[in-house]
Amino acid sequence: MSDVMVQSINLAKSFGSNEVLRNINMEVHRGEVTCLIGPSGSGKSTFLRCINHLEKYDRGELLVDGVRVGFDLRNGKLYERTTSEIAKDRSDIGMVFQRFNLFPHLTALANVTIGPIKVRGMSPSDAKQRARDLLERVGLGAKADAYPSQLSGGQQQRVAIARALAMDPKLMLFDEPTSALDPELVGEVLDVMKDLARSGMTMIVVTHEMGFAREVATSAYFMDQGIIYESGDPKEILVRPQSERLQSFLSKVL
Amino acid sequence: MSALDEHAESLEVVPVRHPGRIAAGVAMLVLVVMFLHTLISRIPDPQTGQPIWRFRWNIIGQYLFSPIILRALLLTIELTVVAMVIGIILGVVIAVMRISHSRLLSMPAAAYTWFFRGTPVYVQILFWFAAGTLYPTLTFGVPFLHITFFTFHVNHLTAIEAGIVALSLNEGAYMAEIARAGLISVDEGQMEAALSVGMTRVQTLRHIVLPQAMRVIIPPTGNEAISMLKTTSLLSTIGVYELAGTAANISAQNFENVALLETISIWYLVVTTVMSIGQFYVERRFARGSSRATPETPWQRLRSDIRGVRARWKLIPQGLTR
Repeated sequence: MSDVMVQSINLAKSFGSNEVLRNINMEVHRGEVTCLIGPSGSGKSTFLRCINHLEKYDRGELLVDGVRVGFDLRNGKLYERTTSEIAKDRSDIGMVFQRFNLFPHLTALANVTIGPIKVRGMSPSDAKQRARDLLERVGLGAKADAYPSQLSGGQQQRVAIARALAMDPKLMLFDEPTSALDPELVGEVLDVMKDLARSGMTMIVVTHEMGFAREVATSAYFMDQGIIYESGDPKEILVRPQSERLQSFLSKVL
Repeated sequence: MSALDEHAESLEVVPVRHPGRIAAGVAMLVLVVMFLHTLISRIPDPQTGQPIWRFRWNIIGQYLFSPIILRALLLTIELTVVAMVIGIILGVVIAVMRISHSRLLSMPAAAYTWFFRGTPVYVQILFWFAAGTLYPTLTFGVPFLHITFFTFHVNHLTAIEAGIVALSLNEGAYMAEIARAGLISVDEGQMEAALSVGMTRVQTLRHIVLPQAMRVIIPPTGNEAISMLKTTSLLSTIGVYELAGTAANISAQNFENVALLETISIWYLVVTTVMSIGQFYVERRFARGSSRATPETPWQRLRSDIRGVRARWKLIPQGLTR
């Protein structure tokens, strides 16, 4: 088994005439926490969504755990994978959204169990047991029967993390997980994410939390206008940025 | 706290008066009493001059629970249920086709809605009753191979069957629009979240999107069902003996048109009332998780109203009602 979890080579993507991603090269190793930073509209989220094929890329190569995202290479041709194959690929990748996207008609517990039951075919009783453990792990054991509308933003996001973890993912994608939260609720979500990072989960995090990036991330990429301007050890590049762009970005967010 | 504020707490509060509202209320009360009086008043019979009930209550009483009217009521309810069930299934299928990425699916769905919404339901009823001349038989089988599973004789359709076909096809077009509105009301993030867990599109639709769309779909569907109950009366024109057809038939014999129209109106009102109550409880069930508090049932509301009135008359301290 290779050590590389995500590999992106010259990845490109346009929406109409708007080039959102141009030649993105990135390598994420197993157990690493990678932070993507940059101004809004820089293509960070689009890149993240390409990894679990919520967005189709136009050119370049993107491999997750050695498997090409969305295509199979056979006889020198790229065959588009069927929707059920793509669904199966996605089930191994957890995703946490900026706006939580919890299922409002289901309780916190049912939000966590629905994936394992419907996708993995797990028995409801096993799924519930596991879901309770996961909710306990994110500090919400007491909120299992609450509906999302009865939870604070921070609690909802922690349920969303538990929902993603319930599928036993090999990779977790976080799309600005704390951007929609009140400032005093950011900490509880970041704490769960730090805990997850310490447990060895491979994570790619689009974030504006520079403190989190410096403290937890093993590598950081700075993106702007679909290009990676600078990358490396976050303790290095976020403290002594080389490119003018990153310098000016950091001077604005810090 | 200033001295002025402390003082203000002990002062009596005089609510603002609404003289216009009181005058309009009194006038309305007089009109209501006048109307109620007409309900129980008698007028001379045009033929004999004897005083008779203005509203022919005696005739209504004679027919309201008569077997012939009850049978017609049952048929009306059956027609409504069958046409609505087929209409809802058709509507959901057409709505899903309509939002499909394939034009071969979305265009026919749009055309269906365009046609069945664009022609009067009355015309469609007459059309299906006579459709045997257009398609005498419909055969289900494999095209071009002369393999047939079963044949459907359109020219043998009874009035009731033709009526059900007409009403459900028409309803399908309206339900399609209602279902489509429900489907597109669900946030796109819900779809993405479900897909990211690894659900297929069908699973996402079934477990995530449809249950949430129901909240938007149910209230207008209730309206449609109530409207359908009354639209079945149009089937009287092709000889279906539901409530309206039966009433017309009886009054052709006894010339008590108004009394029979009143009789069936009472039944329409009763069924509509029952359906509205059912709609309320179904809506409540699908409102789970959508708001912090589910709406009160009429009983709960009555209880809290009584609490409010008692509080107003100082039978219990005001604070307890909050």
